[in-house]
Amino acid sequence: MAKVCWTRSIWVRSSFVAEMVEAEWYDGLTARKRTGHASLSGSVLLLREDDGTQTALPLQDLRFVERRPEGPVLSLNDNRGFRLRLLGTIPPDLAERLPGESRYGHWIDRLGLPKAAALFAGISAVALAAVLTLPNWLGPLIPQSWERRAGDAVIGDMGNTLCHSEFGDPALKQLAAAIDPERPVTRVDIANIDMVNAVALPGGRVVVFDGLVQEAESADELAGVIAHEIGHVRERHVMQALLRQFGLSILLGGINSDVGSGIFGIASTSYTRSAEREADEYARERLAAADISPLGAAAFFERLKKEHGDGPDWAAWVASHPVPSERQKQFERAAQKGADYRPALSEQDFGALKTMCDEDEDVEEFYF
Amino acid sequence: MDGMAGGFGGDGGAPSGGDPANADGGPASAFVFEGTWREFAPIAFTNLLLTIVTLGIYRFWATTRERQYLWSRSRFIDEHLEWTGLGKELFFGFLMVAVLFGIPVLVLQFVVEALMIQGYPGLGAALMVAMVLTIFYLSGVARYRALRYRLGRTHWRGIRGGSYDPGFRYGLSYMWKYAVGYLAMGLMVPWAMVSLWNERWGHMSFGQLRFSGQADFSPVMKRYLLFYLAPLILLIVGFLAIGAVALGIGAAGEFDRKELAWGALGGLIAIGFVAFYLLWGLAYLFFYAKYLRVVIGEMRLGDDISFGFSATTKDWFRLILGDVGLVLVTLGVGWIFLSYRHWKFFITYVEAYGVIDPDALMQSDTPMAKHGEGLLDAFDMGAI
Repeated sequence: MAKVCWTRSIWVRSSFVAEMVEAEWYDGLTARKRTGHASLSGSVLLLREDDGTQTALPLQDLRFVERRPEGPVLSLNDNRGFRLRLLGTIPPDLAERLPGESRYGHWIDRLGLPKAAALFAGISAVALAAVLTLPNWLGPLIPQSWERRAGDAVIGDMGNTLCHSEFGDPALKQLAAAIDPERPVTRVDIANIDMVNAVALPGGRVVVFDGLVQEAESADELAGVIAHEIGHVRERHVMQALLRQFGLSILLGGINSDVGSGIFGIASTSYTRSAEREADEYARERLAAADISPLGAAAFFERLKKEHGDGPDWAAWVASHPVPSERQKQFERAAQKGADYRPALSEQDFGALKTMCDEDEDVEEFYF
Repeated sequence: MDGMAGGFGGDGGAPSGGDPANADGGPASAFVFEGTWREFAPIAFTNLLLTIVTLGIYRFWATTRERQYLWSRSRFIDEHLEWTGLGKELFFGFLMVAVLFGIPVLVLQFVVEALMIQGYPGLGAALMVAMVLTIFYLSGVARYRALRYRLGRTHWRGIRGGSYDPGFRYGLSYMWKYAVGYLAMGLMVPWAMVSLWNERWGHMSFGQLRFSGQADFSPVMKRYLLFYLAPLILLIVGFLAIGAVALGIGAAGEFDRKELAWGALGGLIAIGFVAFYLLWGLAYLFFYAKYLRVVIGEMRLGDDISFGFSATTKDWFRLILGDVGLVLVTLGVGWIFLSYRHWKFFITYVEAYGVIDPDALMQSDTPMAKHGEGLLDAFDMGAI
């Protein structure tokens, strides 16, 4: 308010007669309307009220509000209540010094709407592309040990729902080692969850639900599922998915939540699908290297496809497993005629996995 | 002097700014909306474009431009309202909430998930309850602060509104009043709504004048009970109808197209299902229309100004039907005109009565929050 000073004075006719324009204004102090004339005087706008009161407004303090049919509306930067309406034709020297019109906001006004819109669209496209593709590069750069520690902190022993038994534990180890001999750090567990599913969790962990183990008819089937999950771990898919989700949620945080989650879903689905393909490729490679028949996996994916429902909510932030029939066929095609396949586990060891959760007396049921 | 100390709204004195000869059609309204959708369309469409290309970030400036237009086309007595809020205020409000509220909630959700998975469901649930209670509290505060922000950025004749109270105590009132409202089997909800409306507005002012709300909840109870009991009534009526038809089909004995008849009954049930929700919604509208008429009707500003709101259930129904129609016919694009329709609806039906002296109406000295409606925005209650 300091810059608006009210002085009651007599209008002195100077040698320089500025052109005047009719004006009405509110001073932002009371609701009383003032009427008079405005004229330019050096770097100030002089407002002369009909009763002779004179006010000087520094031009740089004026702010454009809107253009009305009768003329522009102005305000003051430090007094939002102040409103000045200039009525009629504005003298050119004054018009030149008035603040520029703003419509969309400073940056956009300066560039013009089409250019600004194109620029914004470009920046947004680049940002979206970066958020979607960068995790593929960044994911593998994050040290395994960090991911492992973070994963253990969140998951722990899953509330003591992981099953252990005297013969089951070595059998499971043997199966994991056969599929992925170079990377013994990958942990494979069976959880006491009655659901046909398996997940790759942060920290290089694979958890197969007991429901799936019961559903499997041979060790080969189980080997296919575990190989697929280890594929997610080896390709760092879980970290990539976490990073991508984090980036998208920040980028799309500005959008109305429904629209945002729609874009979110579409944007991440294509990456989920390619991750599934990569995991499958890895699984086929490893099964072949371990002389395990891929037909078990094919048979299993076929059954899984029929019975698989939506996983639990918390599994949404880890790699999910849609099972399209195309995958099943690819496993069938991978089978080599005349190859010397041997069972992934002996009947006895497979039986030990099947009864692992029943035999573990300490293990708890998992509730959602 | 320019001082205008006239009556308006037909409550004694000549209505200033209105047409005094307007006697047969009732007194001229103190609030008049003068906008057109043709003027609004360029604003709405450019807003939509910029919001899309900025991935939503422009929406704060979009809201501001919309309000600048809507306010500037709303006349109160002889002068238009002015929206003086800025896009960056809303943006900073959003950022503040994102940092102070959004991130802690995200982290907490992670912690709750971890606790659940690791086998501490009790602790996880306790944290969850604490989080829900906090959100409950903050949604009350948000409602209050949004109203305060809007009044503080609404100018009329250079004067704005505001509040001295930051609204943190209101958040507590909001919690316990709604808790009582729902605990009494939901029967006290109208009381909570009305008394919170009074409380909220009781802390607001315009210029040096205080608002006050003196509404009593009993006038809205009859309609609330209708809404409350509507599901039961509708269910009984529905079951009786289905039962009658089924008995009819059963009693008709053997006839060729019996399956067709049962199919028709299924269709009837489906229609009944839709009708159930429509009628229930209508019952709520019937209540809500009355509620707004009552709470606004008992509001005052200073000693001399009182308010009214005359929208009937039929008016509300037409508004909503128009909204739905507009959005459907335009395949969703009409959505950008809803804020215009709702503001116009509000200004058209709101009324003020009394005397105001512009010479005596002084600027408000309430503190001005530097940020916008971030909290309200976060809880998705931004609609006017």
